[in-house]
Parts: sequence; structure tokens; C-alpha cells
Amino acid sequence: MGWLIDLLPLNYSDAVVAIGAALLGIAAGALGVFAVLRQRSLVGDALAHAALPGVCVAFLATGAKDATTLLVGAALAGLVGALLMVGIERTSRVRPDAAIGVVLSSFFSLGIVLLTHIASTNDANQAGLDTYLFGQAAGLLERDLDVMAVLAVVALAVVALAFRPLKTTLFDPAFAGAVGLPVRLLEIFMTMLLVVAVVIGLRTVGAILMVAMLVVPAVAARQLCNRLSLLIPLAALIGAAVGVAGALIAARAEVPTGPVIVLVGFAVVLATVLLAPGRGVLWRGRKLARDRRRALVEGVLVDLETTIHAGPPPTPRELALASGRPRRQVARALSALDRAGMLARDGERIHLTESGAAAAHAVLERRDLWSAWLEHGWKLRLPDAREPDPTDLRASLGDDCADELRRLALAGDGGGAAGDAGQGAR
Amino acid sequence: MSAHQDGGPPTAGRGAGDRAPALEIRRMTVSYGARPVLWDVDASFPAGRLSAIVGPNGAGKSTLLKAALGLIPADAGQTLVEGRPVGAARDRVAYVPQRDAVDWDFPITVREVVEMGRYAPTGWFRRVPRRDAALVDDCLERVGMGDFRGRQIGQLSGGQRQRVFIARALAQQAPLLLMDEPFSGVDARTEASILELLAALRDEGRSIVVVHHDLGTVRGAFDHALLLNVRAVAEGPVAEVVTRETLARAYGAGADAVGRDAGEALSWAG
Amino acid sequence: MSDDLTIILTAGLVATAAGLLGPFLVLRRVALMSDAVSHAVLPGIVAVYLLFETRAPLPVIVGAAVFAVVCVIGIDLLRSTRLVASDAAIALVFPALFALGVLGVTEFASGAHLDLDATIYGEIAFAPFDVWAFGSVEVARSIVLLGAVVLANATLVALLWKELKATTFDPEFSRTIGISPTLLSRLLLIAVAVTAVTAFESVGAILVVTMLIVPAAAAYLLCDRLLAMIAVTLGIGWLSAVLGHTVALRADASIAGSMGLVAACCFVLALVLSPKYGLLARALQRRRRRREVRAALAEAHAAR
Repeated sequence: MGWLIDLLPLNYSDAVVAIGAALLGIAAGALGVFAVLRQRSLVGDALAHAALPGVCVAFLATGAKDATTLLVGAALAGLVGALLMVGIERTSRVRPDAAIGVVLSSFFSLGIVLLTHIASTNDANQAGLDTYLFGQAAGLLERDLDVMAVLAVVALAVVALAFRPLKTTLFDPAFAGAVGLPVRLLEIFMTMLLVVAVVIGLRTVGAILMVAMLVVPAVAARQLCNRLSLLIPLAALIGAAVGVAGALIAARAEVPTGPVIVLVGFAVVLATVLLAPGRGVLWRGRKLARDRRRALVEGVLVDLETTIHAGPPPTPRELALASGRPRRQVARALSALDRAGMLARDGERIHLTESGAAAAHAVLERRDLWSAWLEHGWKLRLPDAREPDPTDLRASLGDDCADELRRLALAGDGGGAAGDAGQGAR
Repeated sequence: MSAHQDGGPPTAGRGAGDRAPALEIRRMTVSYGARPVLWDVDASFPAGRLSAIVGPNGAGKSTLLKAALGLIPADAGQTLVEGRPVGAARDRVAYVPQRDAVDWDFPITVREVVEMGRYAPTGWFRRVPRRDAALVDDCLERVGMGDFRGRQIGQLSGGQRQRVFIARALAQQAPLLLMDEPFSGVDARTEASILELLAALRDEGRSIVVVHHDLGTVRGAFDHALLLNVRAVAEGPVAEVVTRETLARAYGAGADAVGRDAGEALSWAG
Repeated sequence: MSDDLTIILTAGLVATAAGLLGPFLVLRRVALMSDAVSHAVLPGIVAVYLLFETRAPLPVIVGAAVFAVVCVIGIDLLRSTRLVASDAAIALVFPALFALGVLGVTEFASGAHLDLDATIYGEIAFAPFDVWAFGSVEVARSIVLLGAVVLANATLVALLWKELKATTFDPEFSRTIGISPTLLSRLLLIAVAVTAVTAFESVGAILVVTMLIVPAAAAYLLCDRLLAMIAVTLGIGWLSAVLGHTVALRADASIAGSMGLVAACCFVLALVLSPKYGLLARALQRRRRRREVRAALAEAHAAR
């Protein structure tokens, strides 16, 4: 890792921390995807807490505060905790959330007891064991980086090699079992990978903040893409970026690394949840507003057309009354129609211009077609699995089908709303 | 069917002996995203009758009930219970949700579930008054579950669970019962006996609306039906609604075109 | 009052306050909200210290409660976008708030009496040393505060008993009779937050989380009625407090840790030995049924 440290335009300790955060981001990002997609995001929380007794036992067994030994101890304890969680969930009526909670608090209690036991045996060497829970990224050593790099590479390689069975198990465990994949083994295996990620993270950001490191990249990447094969590398990338950005900001501002990384990650998640194209809250909100507005304007347009068809041109007030809509909505729709040049005003009374009438007829025809689809759609043989889009049946089903539907509708009973609308369209 | 002579509040503005519809739904439109699930549905379920909402999968049957009760937001539409907006008539409606919406491992006894029917009239913060105990027990007896009152709810069969829910609705003492798919996962014998119970409740003057998936039993057991497929396809007395022609319009005819669901529907309707 | 008695009483009161709420958390499948809320209150504690330079319990509890509400509402908001599953929403919000708190502690309050250990790992062993005098009687502060919380929780659960029961068992039905599940859920979680914060101070976070989840999960394996479940939860909580204290004295180990371990043992016992839902009972039942079926089949074959 020395070459990388020299390469970065940072002082030595900042470079070590930045590289560590990047390694952590990669591993946690890739592995967190599995936890998040299985809706076990908080497993990381339990595993992180379960690591404490592992660290203590490892220390008690070897008497040395060696990073590798402690990591192995933490990983073993995490694994035991993970197996217990799965076991409790499988064999009893206790639900996943409570199973995670029970393992978390039991193991942590055990850890605290062991910690006090170690302290009371008065070993001067014990100080600092519990920093594993808070994370002291500034205390990272170059040697720690090697351990982290190895763990991260192994985890990534395993995900890449076992990608297909993992994906199948994740998506459809019943199918995976039916085609002979060892589902339980794979599930345990996925949890093991998670344990690895948590153990890597404990030292960099600490137990509680490690939870976020697992979840942030997966959630952010999920907003941006739909395919698992893309999701994992993307999550790893986001994880690395968040880690490095957090570490650099923390170094610049001279504040602790872990919290900054987590806050940067949270900001990234918020940004993707709000802005992700096609999915984001703002994006959907704008589309919803547009759809609503369009439905309103089209509705008022059709109401106007039918009112004119039946009698004298109405005033806005009469139109609102006839269509049963609030007057403010009608007024808003009318002004939109006016701007589009579809209205002609005759004092208080409103007419449709030629383009307005044409637009009204187009809307009526679309509705007509949809009515015909609901009624006669089953008679059509669609060439493939295309699905009707109620707002624009012609575009979604193709001209042939639309014409056929019209023919069926006209040949049919001709009664009801479909018939009325049909007349309007002609 | 002697629906007109039974009790219930007379409503002003109606012809002699006629009650306002128990449940009236106007212009109900609901969509999930851009996809309309219900489109401009008008329906009117008469008082003192046993009514069914039928239609193919995805027709919006359960959605109609939920939207009518305000459990899910509607794009447009209005619901009247006995001529009043549903918000002002909560105490007149008892709703029996789909059974899979409930946690059956919950540590609660049969009797406690039925007692929930008395929660609304009791009001917040108070305990259910002692005088309601007899009513709760009566409701349990009424559905034939008197001997099971101390059982944990998860130890019952599907049919028994449904009976408990009906007892809870009875305990609400509401004149209108709305039931969402009460017969899914229930064997034929149990279904028949629950239908019998519903008919008896109807004869006492209650109005009952059931979301139903089995066209086979609609004809014999129900008075009134709404045939739904996103829109209201047909509504009226069962004999007029469940015909080969209307079913074809809702389900699509010919097993070759739509498949088993529709094929079954037609073979039943004969 | 002897120190040991104070410690046991303090832990017992924590067990009571938590045991009144825990069963609802477990039944609503939001057990981990207790862990989330317990950590999310840190910035509130820090903010109160920074703004008012005080660690007096009442302002601290108020500040923490504010952030507990922020946490709960934040999780609700994220979940309501339907872009983030509810477990992921929890896992995103509480670490972020906690991180905010840690930054606050290390940045602004270092050197003061507000260090991370004392906030997150309040130590139950010190409970007897912090006393309030009422006239000539001295009572440990933790007992007064926790007693008040127990009282508040008991009132809440008693007053809203049927509302809590209905919204937990059948939220959809509750809405049709005008009881809002969202409102009840918020109230419950605020109570959890206030309990957690108050108990933090005197016993440390982990014991609170343990007492909120573990006894209730054990009771869930033993009971078929809600009232019984709460009673058993309280029983296990007190047992853990008393036994845990004894164990801690004998083994010279952390008191909170020992209490947590005893609670964990209770859970394991329930898991294995519960007469109805235990592993052993169910294995025996399975074996008996298998034997019966085999006997019946043999009989049928012999008769043929």
C-alpha cells in the first residue's frame, strides 16, 4: 500500500485514512446490497455489536492486542450471531426484527461483561479494546490497510464468482431451491460476507456508523439502476466515493472521520431519493402534477364540448355546475385552454374554437377506445405481450389493434358511455 | 325477499316504504400511478339486501370498498351511507377486512377480537363498559363461536376466523356490513353456512355488501350485484347482472381468449 | 437505602418502563426502533448542552425527545417515498443523527462533562451516588426520574390500552373505526424515546435496548394474551435485574452487562422450553404425531 500512500497528494496519516475509507466503501457497498435487498439492513447493526465479545475472547485467548487476531475474533463472533439470528427466525415465531434485536443486545451484554472481566484482571494491555466500537480512523495503521485490502478483495471476488447463484437465491429462493441450489448455505454465505464487511468497518467508522456504510451505497445505487449486475459495482463505487469524500472533508475540517463519512453518505442518499431520474420524489411529483393537470384540462374540455352539444354555450359558472367540479379548478383549466387557443369567448359565455373542438374529439376518441378495450379487449389477439396504456391506447397497442377495437365497439351494442363518446368522435 | 318491511331509520325524501340506498358510490376514480384501477364507478347498493361486488382479478373490487371507506386516497368520487357522507356515518358501517391483513400470531383471544367491535362507541381512553359484555357474547353465539371465546385467534381454522370477524362486525351494531373477500381460502361447506348466516342477517334488516370472487354462488345467494371491471359493467338484481352477455363483457368470453377465470365464470352462469 | 437496593430498584424501574412498551414494539415488528431511537437522541443531548450549558435531566430529556421525534418522522418520511424499505430507512436515519451527535460531542463539548462514554454508557453502578434530597430524605435521582417514567408509561398504556391493541392487531379495521394507527405509532415511539433517554442517564444505552426487546421477545414465546405477555415481560425484566445484580457482584463484572445476559438466558430458555411454542415442545409434538400416524396407518393396513 506504500506506493498508493506516496501517490496521493496528502500527508501520510490522511492518505492512510482516505485509502482505508475507500476500501471500506468498496467492500461495504458491494456486500450491503445483499442485506438491503433481503430487507435485513439492520443485520449489520447486530453484527457490529456482536463483534465486541469476539474481540474480547480473542484477546483473552491470545493475550495480545494484535489487529489480525482481534479481527478474526470479531468475525467469528459475528458469524455465530448471524447464524443464531437465522436460527431463531427459522425455528420460532419470533420475527426478524426481534431476532436481530435479541442477538444484538445479548452479544453486546456479553461483550461488556467480558470487557469488565478483562479490566478487573488488571492487564495493562487491555486499554483500547473498546475503541473497536467507536472507531478511531485516525489510529489506522498502514498494516491495517493490508488486512482491509485483502478482505475487501476476497469479498469482491467471491461475489463475482458466485454471482449467479447469489442472484437467484436473492430473487426467488423457492426457484433456487427447486433447481437444486443450496439456498440455506448460500444465505449463510451471504451473511458471512456481510460479517466480513462489518469487521472491516468497525475500525474505520465504528459499530453504529458501520450500519450506515452498509446501507447507504446500496440504497443510493438502487435509485440509479435496476440491474443487480450493475447495482453491485455501482454501490461499490458510491461506497468508495463517499468514504474518500468523507475522509478528506474530515481531514480538512479536523473532525472525526466516521461521522463525516456517514453524513456525506446520508446526503448522497437524500439526493438520489429526491432527484433520481424516473424514480426520485421530485421527479415523480412533477409527473404526478402534470398528469393531474392534464386530466383536469381534458376533463373540462370534454365537459365543455358535451355542454355545448346539448345546449347554449355555458358561462364558466354554469360549466362548473354542470360538470360538478369546483369552480377554481374549472377556471384554471379554462385559462390553460385559453392559452392554447382552444377557447372563444362570447362575453361571459365560452365556445370552443376549431382546434378546441378537435382536441375534445381526440380526447373523447381516446376514452372511447379505452372503453372498447375494457369491453372487447379479450377478443383481440395481440401479437406479443404488450400492455395497454389507458392514457394512450393507440400508441401502446398499435394502430391495427386500435382500429380493430373501434370496429368491435361500433359492431357491439353501441349503448352506454362508449356509444355516446363514439358519436362525439365522429 | 321482504326487504322493505324491516327496521332501520326511515330517510326523508324517499317514496313511502323505500329506504335510501345503504351505500352509494358516485364517480369513484382511483389510480395507482398512471394506471387507473377504478374509473368513474357509480354504484348503489339497496338497503336490506345482500349485495355482491364481482369481477375478474384486478377489476378493483377490494379497491372500491377501501376507497369508499377512505382507506386509500381516491382521485375523485364520493361515498354516501344512508344518504350521508361516509365521514359522518362511520358508526353506520362495519368493515370486515381481508383476513391476510391481520397478524394471526397476535396474543389475543377470540372474545377480545369481538370486543373490538365496541371500541368505536366506547370512545378514546375508556374501557369497554360492562354492559357491552352480554352483547359481545351474543354476537359470538350468533356466529356459532361461543365455545371458542377463550382461544387464541391463531388456533382457529379459516372459516372460524371469518366468523370471528363477522361477530366483530355484528358487535359494531352497524346496519351496513362491508366484507372484503370473506370466502377466499374457505372450504365450500363453511362458505355455504356463512352465506346462510349472512342471509339471516339480511332478513333482520341489515344491508350487506360482499366482495366476492366465486360467480357460482352469486346467483343463488345474493340479491343484488355490481359487476366490476375497472368500470361498472352492470349493476342491479343478480338475475339481470349475472348473464352470459354481461359476464362476457366483464371477464371476456371463450376460454381461449382469457383463460380459466372467465371459462369458469361462464360455466357457472350457464 | 443501601447502594445495592438502589441499583436493583433502578434496574427494575428500567425493566418496568421498558416492559410496558416492549411488547407493543415486538408485536408491531419495530423492535429495532428502540435501538434506533436510543442512538438518534444523541444530538438532542449535545444541543441542549451547547445551547444552555446544562446537563440537568429535564432539559436533556426534552432535547432528546425532540430528536427522537425527528428520527421517527424522518424514518416515516423516507419510508413513505416507497423508494426505501422500512428497515433500510431505519438504518439510514439513526446513524446519521448519531453521527451528528458524535460530531457535536467531539467538536464543541470536549473537555466538558459531556463525554461520549457518559452519554452512551451511563453506568448503573454510579446510580446510588447521585441523590436528590426531599426534606430530610435522600433518594437516588435515577429512582425519582425512572419512577416518573414508569408512571407516565403505565398511564399511557392503561389509557390507550384498547387503542394500542386494536392498531397493533388490525390497523385497517382501526382506521375504519376512527383510531389512527399512525398517531398511536408516533405516541408509542415518543414514549420509547423518553424512556430510553431517561434510562440512558442512569443505566446506559445497551441495558435500555435489552430491556425493551429481550424480555418482550421471550414473553412472546410464552403467552397467548396481551395482558399476560406484558406481565411476563415485566417478570422477566425484574428477574434479570435482581439476578443480574447478584451475578455481577459474584463475578465482579459489569452490572448492566450481567443483567442483559440474564435476560438473554431467559429468552433462550423460553425459546427452548416454552410449553406451546418452544423448540422442545414442538419437536415432541411432531414426534408424537408421527408415531400416531404410523400406528393408525399400520392399523388400517392390518384391517384390510
